[in-house]
Amino acid sequence: MGTGKRATGVFSVEQPLWRAVAAFRLLTLLYAVGRYAGNSDHYAHPAAAWAYMAVLAVWTFATVRVFSTKARCGWWWLWADLALVVAGILLTRSLDQAVSVDANDVTLPTVRAAATVLGFAVMGGWRPAALAGLLVGVANIGERGRVTSSNAHNIVLLMLAGVAIGYVVELARASEQTLARALEIQAATRERERLARDIHDGVLQVLAMVQRRGAEVGGEAEEIGRMAGEQEIALRALIAEGLVPNASYEAPRRPLHHQDPGEPQDLRALLTPLAGSRVTLSAPGTPVLLPGRAADELSAAVGAAVDNVRKHAGERAHAWILVEDEPGEVVVSVRDDGPGFTPDRLGQAEQEGRLGVSQSIRGRLRDLGGSAEISSAAGQGTEVELRVPRQRVERGSGQ
Amino acid sequence: MTSEGTGSGGTTGEGAVEGQQPIRVMVVDDHPMWREAVARDLGDAGCRVVATAGDGREAVRRAPAAAADVVVLDLNLPDLPGVEVCRQLMAHDPAPRVLVLSASGEHADVLEAVKSGATGYLVKSASREELLDAVRRTAVGDPVFTPGLAGLVLGEYRRLAAEPVPAGSRSPAAPQLTERETEVLRLVAKGLAYRQIADRLVLSPRTVQNHVQNTLGKLQLHNRVELVRYAIERGLDDEG
Repeated sequence: MGTGKRATGVFSVEQPLWRAVAAFRLLTLLYAVGRYAGNSDHYAHPAAAWAYMAVLAVWTFATVRVFSTKARCGWWWLWADLALVVAGILLTRSLDQAVSVDANDVTLPTVRAAATVLGFAVMGGWRPAALAGLLVGVANIGERGRVTSSNAHNIVLLMLAGVAIGYVVELARASEQTLARALEIQAATRERERLARDIHDGVLQVLAMVQRRGAEVGGEAEEIGRMAGEQEIALRALIAEGLVPNASYEAPRRPLHHQDPGEPQDLRALLTPLAGSRVTLSAPGTPVLLPGRAADELSAAVGAAVDNVRKHAGERAHAWILVEDEPGEVVVSVRDDGPGFTPDRLGQAEQEGRLGVSQSIRGRLRDLGGSAEISSAAGQGTEVELRVPRQRVERGSGQ
Repeated sequence: MTSEGTGSGGTTGEGAVEGQQPIRVMVVDDHPMWREAVARDLGDAGCRVVATAGDGREAVRRAPAAAADVVVLDLNLPDLPGVEVCRQLMAHDPAPRVLVLSASGEHADVLEAVKSGATGYLVKSASREELLDAVRRTAVGDPVFTPGLAGLVLGEYRRLAAEPVPAGSRSPAAPQLTERETEVLRLVAKGLAYRQIADRLVLSPRTVQNHVQNTLGKLQLHNRVELVRYAIERGLDDEG
């Protein structure tokens, strides 16, 4: 609580509290003057009492600015305020008639004493508030000369209020510091992310350039370029995951096995890892959602089809994956630019086990109530079309 | 999402429409490395690089004076979103044709740019020949599609068709693809060149190209109508 420099932030609790202290001091002063005006005829020395009230009023008004911000208010001002109030309480005994004091006449400062305790609470929390409240209480007992029940009652109330307010002030101050720290961390994180984005973007651009130039130079450089291209895709996927905390994108990236199998997943996210320099993925711009198990199975089938391309059409064959989100079904096509088959060769190839993987693809799709169709034309590559109906899948996974 | 080869065919030629002036090109990219490489490649091939810009505002400012036929535009710019740059370029008269040259994985932006008037899209990792071919085709107004863009456009038509039309709204009916257009787009998305598509569907390559062009045209028209409708509604609201 050292310097008064903190508490400049927008969310500061400090300033309203001090304004409340300043206002409370003025209001309680008016109350005290009013009460005294009503009681002054009981007093043995009304002139001296009026003199005290004048001093208290001048002091209170003169210190409005001091008590309105923490920057101006120091412990000395608070102690001076307390001293003046305690003096007023004690003076009541000598200025008022003893009968009236015993008849429960209010003290000269009356509730103005509470404003002092509030100042201690706002300044230093519950401990100083308790101390100030105790001192005011002791002064009150001294004024009456003994402990009365109403006296004790008031003292307990005063100390309770002081301690409670002081405690709340401490709490507010602590949470404000926490908030300030959190905001600082947040700002730093945002700045770091911005830098990371810039740096990553630069790296991605260089990788893309290496890929492009490598392809032009050919030979060994082409291989390097291809690797650069794959790294570019991998890095971009990583950045997209790390810097775009989007729930609908995040869920599908988690390891598949730890997921609720019924939770819908974006098929695009599952297929993204398959894409590379020789595998092109085309998909809608919006998420293609399928129940978790269906999405897993379908993406596994697509993966098998892509493997099949690599195995049978050669390392250099290119594959294209097209994802279509139709109202009734999800269609994924995998085409390659390999030599392909003529229709009569297709059945033969299947028998030879050359399309053995296609059996497992068909099996997966059958389980989902869908279909897998393999077609080929000589010179136009081979195409696998996987269809998963929406309704069937949703009902199936709902069991 | 991925790197893509151009799925569409066409022969590589000189950077000039036959027997005419060289193609005037403006290159917009915030990375000097790319800006220079692309400008050099285009210059070597006989195009005239009339301007380059490193950010969106500069691009919009310099475009009228440069009077480029083709603007090669990177969507990832530091100041303005590339889509916004594209929109503002389209407002010029005469509007240049825009070829989006962008890194992979910015697909939502690519779709927006194409809807707001870009003629084509090419990934940055495309080869020099593919780039030259794309610029040449863009200059004569032929759409340059990658398989990825075809997939996005197909998805966009389905999205528009599935969108519920609020009752009593003045919004125009969502554009629809004909069966033939869908067929053609699907083949483009599967990586077939126009020539291969023409063979398969027994059409002329020119017809295939027209189908592709129509799919874009309808989308761009719908986008413009939507924008106007939005502007009118907002305008009326403001006055009332």
